[in-house]
Amino acid sequence: MKTDKLSILLLVAVALAALAGCALPTAPAASSGAEAGAGSAPVEVKIWHMEQPPHRVERIQQLIDEFNAANPGIVVSQEPQNWGEIYTKAPAAVAAGNAPELLFAIPDFTPILNRLGKVQPMEEFVAEMDALYSFYPSAVEPYTYDDHTWAVPLYNMAHSMWYRKSVFAEAGITPPTTWDELLVAVEALTQEGQYGIGLPANKQLYTDQVVYDFMVNAGADEIYNEDGTLRFNNPQTVEAYDFYRQLYQFSPPDSPNWTWGEAEACFANRTCAIIPQFTVITTYDTQAEGDPEDLGVMAIPHSSNVDASGTIAYSNAVMLLTEDPAKQAAAQEFLRFLLTPGNYGRFLNMEPGLFLPVTEAGSQDESFWNDPLAVKYQSQLETMVENAKNGRLFGFTNGNTFPSIAAISAQNLVAQTAQLVVIDGLSAADAVAEGQRLMEEALAE
Amino acid sequence: MTTRIRHRSLLALGLLGLLLVVVAPFYYVATSSFKLPQEVIAQVPTLFPQSFTLQHYEKLLRSSNFPTYLANSMLVASGTMGICVTLSTLAAYGLYRMQLPAGKFLFRIILVTYAFPGVLLLIPLYGLLSQLGLVDRLVSLVIVNVTFTAPFAVWMLRAFFTAIPGELEEAAALDGATRAQTLIRIVLPLAAPGVASVAIFAFILAWTEYMFASVLILSDANRPVPVGLAGIIGQYQVDWGLLLAGATVTMLPVLILFSLVGRYFVEGLTAGAMK
Repeated sequence: MKTDKLSILLLVAVALAALAGCALPTAPAASSGAEAGAGSAPVEVKIWHMEQPPHRVERIQQLIDEFNAANPGIVVSQEPQNWGEIYTKAPAAVAAGNAPELLFAIPDFTPILNRLGKVQPMEEFVAEMDALYSFYPSAVEPYTYDDHTWAVPLYNMAHSMWYRKSVFAEAGITPPTTWDELLVAVEALTQEGQYGIGLPANKQLYTDQVVYDFMVNAGADEIYNEDGTLRFNNPQTVEAYDFYRQLYQFSPPDSPNWTWGEAEACFANRTCAIIPQFTVITTYDTQAEGDPEDLGVMAIPHSSNVDASGTIAYSNAVMLLTEDPAKQAAAQEFLRFLLTPGNYGRFLNMEPGLFLPVTEAGSQDESFWNDPLAVKYQSQLETMVENAKNGRLFGFTNGNTFPSIAAISAQNLVAQTAQLVVIDGLSAADAVAEGQRLMEEALAE
Repeated sequence: MTTRIRHRSLLALGLLGLLLVVVAPFYYVATSSFKLPQEVIAQVPTLFPQSFTLQHYEKLLRSSNFPTYLANSMLVASGTMGICVTLSTLAAYGLYRMQLPAGKFLFRIILVTYAFPGVLLLIPLYGLLSQLGLVDRLVSLVIVNVTFTAPFAVWMLRAFFTAIPGELEEAAALDGATRAQTLIRIVLPLAAPGVASVAIFAFILAWTEYMFASVLILSDANRPVPVGLAGIIGQYQVDWGLLLAGATVTMLPVLILFSLVGRYFVEGLTAGAMK
């Protein structure tokens, strides 16, 4: 009987040993050179950001290490997260009381956290940084509502149209500036083994973004009226979706399922002559020819009813989630460090050619322009910075900020409307009417 | 004779087709992970690599935390497998041999828990594990994985135990064997294919689990492979070579496990189907 019990215990022990192995603390948190001041523990500041590729994590860590070494009373650490899960994970962490002190955000993510009552107003800090480095107003506006500024802008991302100069020259076309010219160009560029343009059509963020590029350039950048009611269903929006349908005929057959990576690959391997994208620089440099003289970037062409080109732009920012004054002060000290020219350029260049400055001082920061890739593709970067100045974001336009846009963007309803047009074959007018109905439904929920 | 040859040819063709469908993706992923970036995304995919490089593996193993993710996954999958096999063996044997009151009812309840959609438990589980201080701990993943694998494992093992003649256990009892000795020395060896199937099932489920891992694990140092790999691929820019190298390395432990106990797994599945 005794042997018998021992046998069972042995069996369970093996299993528990495996469990215990899992329960053992794994690698310690990234250490820093910081040391507590005499007799007091250092103030810990944890950052969650969504810049997970290893080289971005490494660059942020370099800056954190420098900061920690220079500020012995503060220990900053990073925990990279994924955009795919952060909309679930961050509210859960806030509710459970283990949220980070600093959390990176885009405009339509901030209202979700704000509703939980943990996001701290940052207008005083933003004003302080603005006095020193001069924020672009369009970067701050999406975070300013309900009498407060809820996040500190850190970097900007804006769409441009990417092409090869040699491919345009061979087809005998010049970079189009209007929709009429663009349609002629993509038709001419659609040849054996090459599609004129690559456009997505799935219910996903990339499609939201590309469709909105065309809405902006049709004069349909406002989704809301001044009083907060929806104005998605209007002639300009219909014009944008109809033009999208026309262009879509010249897009590869697999493009409905694309996100950013597939579009870039299509451009890099020369299947797509033009793609709308935040940047292709790194991919073009490492996975294609890497010839800066041949890489073309232009503003997104506009309708003849609109005077100038615009684009979608995301001002990425950081929210402060702690109510502890010591942690607030430490977190702000780190943000001061990050926005200081010399550090700021290196921060932006964690992904050269993708992240653009949100301050005037940042756009002149030598550490931004001195990066080898920035030197190589300087003219392209200058055009991107210029295009970004005409950036818009649905729900956050012309000084009107409507946090309820989070419900619309969370369900990718702009993209779903595009699907109705290019996949389901609805007329642009019918699809836009249905899109508005879906949006009203989402807001009512 | 002609009919027999025709049937065999059709069978061989069918098997070849099936083999292609199953093996082709693995072949393409594995061989492409050794191609230069330009060839990986080439307009016309190459069936046989035209270039060779180890740069993707070098980047994966040196510049990213992938080795840590791999070690974490190994711990979680092994822990899940060990505990699931132990618990489900004892539970299935208990349900099968012991005259438990409401045994049948219990067995059905276990099946119902297997059918419950996991996603609905995500937020409540996060809150619960957070209160227990288990968020961002690998043990939380083991607990969750065992919760989802054990019901099916119990159901599967019970079918194996039922097929073992009761006379064997009676004979063992006459020879003085206790219940535990009977289970370990008589029943388990006969149910080895079932135990192997359960082990592989638990290992693979834990190895590939993404949803709970992505929410319950916060720090990079504790991420398992599926979540870690999704992160290093990037959102706006995809390093396809790195992705393929990561996918290839991720497949290896499962392939090794299958090569060791795969035969039992197949036997277990087919035997289970007949019972």
